[in-house]
Amino acid sequence: MLAVIPVRAGVLPAGGAEAADECGRRVLLVGESVEHAAAHLTGEVRLCEAGPYRPGAWAAALAEVLADEPIVVLPASPDGRDLAPRLAAAMDRPCIAGATRLSSTTVVVPRDGGRTMHTMPAPAAFVATLQVGVRGVEPHDGGATVSWLDLGLDRRPIGAVDGGLADARVVEVLAPDAATVDLAEAGRIVGGGAGLRSPEQFEQLAALGVAMGASVGATRVITDRGWVGHERQIGTTGVVVSPELYLAFGISGAVQHTSGLGHPEHVVSVNVDAHCPMMQMADLAVVADANEVLAELVALLVPGAAAAPVAVAVAEGARG
Amino acid sequence: MTTATSSSPSAPTASIAVCLKWTAARDDAGADPDDDRFAGVSAADRAALEVALRLGERWGVPVTALAAGPAGAERTLRDAIAAGADRAVRLDMDADADSRDVAFELAQATAPTGGPCADLVLCGDYSLDRGSGSVPAFIAHHRSAAQALGLVSVDTDGPAADGVVRAVRRLDGGRRELLEVPVPGVLSVEGSVASLRRAPLRRALASRTAPIEVIRTPPAHHRGAPAIVTPYRPRARVMAAPAGDDVLARLRRLTDAGAAPARGETVELAPADAARRIVEALRDWGYLADHDR
Amino acid sequence: MADVDVDVVVVGAGPAGACAAIELARAGRSVVVLERGPFPGSKNMYGGVVYPRILDELIPRWWEEAPIQRWVTRRSTMVLTPTQALTVDFRSQAWGAPPYNGATAYRPDFDHWLAGHAEAAGAQLLCSTTVVGLLRDPGGRVVGVRTDRPDGDLRAGLVIACDGVNSFVAKEAGLYGPVDAANYTLGVKETLALPKEVIDERFGVRGREGVDIEILGGTGGVNGGGFVYTNLDTLAVGAVLKLPKLAAQGTRPEEIIAGLKAHPAIAPLVEGAELKEYSAHLIPEAGLAMMPKLAGDGLLVAGDAAAMCLAAGIWLEGVNFAMASGMYAGRAAIEALSRNDVSTEGLAGYERRLSETFVLRDHRKLRRAPHLVLSDRVQHLYPELITSVVERMFRVDNPNPKPGLRRIVESERRRLGIRRRDLARDGLDGLRSFG
Ligand SMILES: Cc1cc2nc3c(=O)[nH]c(=O)nc-3n(C[C@H](O)[C@H](O)[C@H](O)COP(=O)(O)OP(=O)(O)OC[C@H]3O[C@@H](n4cnc5c(N)ncnc54)[C@H](O)[C@@H]3O)c2cc1C
Ligand SMILES: Cc1cc2nc3c(=O)[nH]c(=O)nc-3n(C[C@H](O)[C@H](O)[C@H](O)COP(=O)(O)OP(=O)(O)OC[C@H]3O[C@@H](n4cnc5c(N)ncnc54)[C@H](O)[C@@H]3O)c2cc1C
Ligand SMILES: Nc1ncnc2c1ncn2[C@@H]1O[C@H](COP(=O)(O)O)[C@@H](O)[C@H]1O
Repeated sequence: MLAVIPVRAGVLPAGGAEAADECGRRVLLVGESVEHAAAHLTGEVRLCEAGPYRPGAWAAALAEVLADEPIVVLPASPDGRDLAPRLAAAMDRPCIAGATRLSSTTVVVPRDGGRTMHTMPAPAAFVATLQVGVRGVEPHDGGATVSWLDLGLDRRPIGAVDGGLADARVVEVLAPDAATVDLAEAGRIVGGGAGLRSPEQFEQLAALGVAMGASVGATRVITDRGWVGHERQIGTTGVVVSPELYLAFGISGAVQHTSGLGHPEHVVSVNVDAHCPMMQMADLAVVADANEVLAELVALLVPGAAAAPVAVAVAEGARG
Repeated sequence: MTTATSSSPSAPTASIAVCLKWTAARDDAGADPDDDRFAGVSAADRAALEVALRLGERWGVPVTALAAGPAGAERTLRDAIAAGADRAVRLDMDADADSRDVAFELAQATAPTGGPCADLVLCGDYSLDRGSGSVPAFIAHHRSAAQALGLVSVDTDGPAADGVVRAVRRLDGGRRELLEVPVPGVLSVEGSVASLRRAPLRRALASRTAPIEVIRTPPAHHRGAPAIVTPYRPRARVMAAPAGDDVLARLRRLTDAGAAPARGETVELAPADAARRIVEALRDWGYLADHDR
Repeated sequence: MADVDVDVVVVGAGPAGACAAIELARAGRSVVVLERGPFPGSKNMYGGVVYPRILDELIPRWWEEAPIQRWVTRRSTMVLTPTQALTVDFRSQAWGAPPYNGATAYRPDFDHWLAGHAEAAGAQLLCSTTVVGLLRDPGGRVVGVRTDRPDGDLRAGLVIACDGVNSFVAKEAGLYGPVDAANYTLGVKETLALPKEVIDERFGVRGREGVDIEILGGTGGVNGGGFVYTNLDTLAVGAVLKLPKLAAQGTRPEEIIAGLKAHPAIAPLVEGAELKEYSAHLIPEAGLAMMPKLAGDGLLVAGDAAAMCLAAGIWLEGVNFAMASGMYAGRAAIEALSRNDVSTEGLAGYERRLSETFVLRDHRKLRRAPHLVLSDRVQHLYPELITSVVERMFRVDNPNPKPGLRRIVESERRRLGIRRRDLARDGLDGLRSFG
């Protein structure tokens, strides 16, 4: 097994070290200022200086030199998720995305929005991405044996079509937007998931956040519904956060969500399903309707909020 | 018409294709594969369709909707026609065909020669059921085209003439990159990039009987191995020995590690009591001052 | 009738709308059925028993293809007090064979199937489309509908409103008088999952046989009734509750179902079942008293939209009334269109048909029933009277000898403070309605 880790500006991506560990520390770093990124790695480290990220050109070049590696693992970081399937295509192999465990005999992949886990025999040869944050990193000792691999990628013109392989051109790297920073650095976060009934409930969550000095986050289901902007999505494909306190309302705890959650000191989860992963993670797991609990919490904690109305079911039942 | 190897930046765009993955959401044993009631496409695919329609309007080029799947997928294609797609093509395949076979057929169908042609292919970033997000990259490979996956925004107001699409992709740590994706290219978008327009009434009515082109495909090449399906359980995390002098605190840090099994208290309470219990816990942990009561 | 997009627009693809569309499409009329939900039946909830015999006219041998769960071969009527239950149980094996009687079915299956027949006959079904207004000509005649889609106007020779209880279309057209909340009950239902073998065993049925239990009492202080129906591997447990009482008591409907499920006579039936779904819906229950005008210029109203649901204690039927009224509305529309007269008078054939058949006949006969069944006496006093009388009948109170029935009834009546006059009058009402 070999970990292929795309590197930008000398920085290892999230999950890079985990991918290396999953592959017994056999690593190929490819990208920009790779030597700098290798500083903290041990084991068998190969370095390939390749300039700025270019999935098409990289995949074509790597496919040739990696032909004898049956298992290639990338971290499920943004660049890893982008490069892995392209590499798999170039190598004519299946791509196993977002695995939580990989070995030469079996692979484990979460499916159905994180509700189920599929355990499959490993194909003879494949490319995979390893979910960020699922395994942790072992303490490192011993040094690294470093070798270089020159594919000439860094000397090719950027953004041009070469050998029939076009790549997109990076115009600009944008700094995190304010809202993202706010969430990424927040010590307390209230999060909402598909268990919330309507945008109004999400507004209540925001009000609760203000009252508690907490930022508001959401699962992908909620950002897909458009109730809140993208910058509020916590998880692998969203913002990676590390709060001390996390309050989860109607969130199942899919690995793509929790892997962006860091390791909060305290977790409260409100969910009707006592057994979902978010409840398993919680210090206080409350089996109840998240919408109603939220209304009650708002009544308790938000100054000036009226007590929750009681017999609203009649009005709601009017149109079904 | 541009071809795959043309690099002329001002080549006119001949057409746009959008790939819609149809999922039979109800997977009861024995469910009718043509029963489309609970089926649907992901928010991401709907967003892809909307982006395709906006670009099609902006550039004045036709939009083709494609789905690889059984007959049940045709309703999704009709919905795409209702929303404004100019034509619809179904690649006749099993609902559970391997991503590589699906991508190969989609790439064939969108190739500039033969089949319905497309220079820009739009996809959702991942499908609801298998969620690998690999189909767009495979299509890009087969088409030798540029790819930009998991986009968080696409500029649909840019000029058609300059042969690129501007889009924003997310990077680590909340950063993003602004890309110029050359056409031909393959884009995949997240669900909140755009919300699909309501189909006008008359188009919606007409779409019910609109023709859907069906392309027969050869038998599948690839078969995934059968999986053992279990409820999701997090994997035990390896932890570096925590630093610090306090043994108890170190132990706690270790045992609290993300994936430790059930670590706290589970209570089943009426909403009002639940709220009070939560406030109590927050206060115990020191997050609320007493005046918050 | 120049300048129309389609002969008839049917609003709502429930049982009423589907049957209207089947008739029209088969007669060669162009029909568009507009449905709010993503597919017919997607959001339609009801208790769970249909009586599809009226389909004999539309879909011969419907039982061979209808998506039913179980055939009702056992009907029980239960009278409950907090600690007692009296059950009248009837079983008929004949109901388990063609042409059958009642059946349990899921509405997302049943409505979808029925609407499929309309489409097969040539009707155009458009889902996820809500009617938000009526188009009228200068004379006030309805000439089409406005939908929530862009460019959403559809002009039609005739509109048939089958949009269910609280019909927006019928109200918009001014066919209803002032709406009184007292005319509606709230239906609430839980779907509970249990393995099929467990249901078979607990309810004493086999194969596709099923049970229908209607319950009087057991709904706490709120006037109403309850039901338990068997599907293949789920149970429907629900209650029909009088709105003003419910609001006044501030009780949540879920609590009432919870109370029902905890009753000693019900608890063993539902024990260990997993909650799959909770839903609530209004029922027009005042019958004839609340029916709107059934036709206007360019407009017919059928099914729940015309308050044709029959909800009277031991009966809870609406789907059959909806199918029948939809079918008759379709026939009347065909007639009116071919005579080129869709005025109120031109559409009078509709009400005539309804009057000649069970649709209005049952309602006339049972016009006092809903009021009677939901009255405070029937709700709170009679169950206690009946059960305590039976309890004393069966109690062996030796060394005392057995008392006579008449004496027991008298003393219990007096104990409960029921006036003899009221008892007699309710008895007569009951006899007129149910006799
Ligand atoms: C490639 C990829 C990337 C992804 N990236 C992300 C990401 O970055 N972030 C992310 O969040 N997701 C991501 N996802 C999606 C992820 O897999 C899950 O689908 C998502 O996190 C689920 O969100 P949820 O918990 O809100 O919804 P669900 O999984 O649908 O869970 C809803 C929960 O609410 C509970 N509930 C329902 N009703 C109530 C009620 N009335 N009261 C209380 N509880 C209730 C249910 O029991 C359930 O536990 C990604 C998926 C893929 C394939
Ligand atoms: C709790 C409960 C239990 C019941 N139990 C039974 C029972 O066991 N047996 C029985 O026979 N009956 C029962 N009924 C009654 C039965 O459900 C109704 O009588 C029956 O559904 C009426 O059919 P319909 O076609 O008139 O209306 P509906 O079935 O209500 O259909 C109306 C349709 O119109 C659509 N619609 C509404 N407004 C619009 C709009 N503006 N634009 C477009 N579409 C629209 C709706 O989405 C719906 O599909 C019960 C009812 C309830 C509430
Ligand atoms: N069978 C299919 N038919 C059409 N498009 C598909 C199909 N499978 C995947 N796609 C497209 O590829 C995207 C990513 O899917 P996946 O790789 O399966 O996660 C989807 O959002 C679709 O746009």
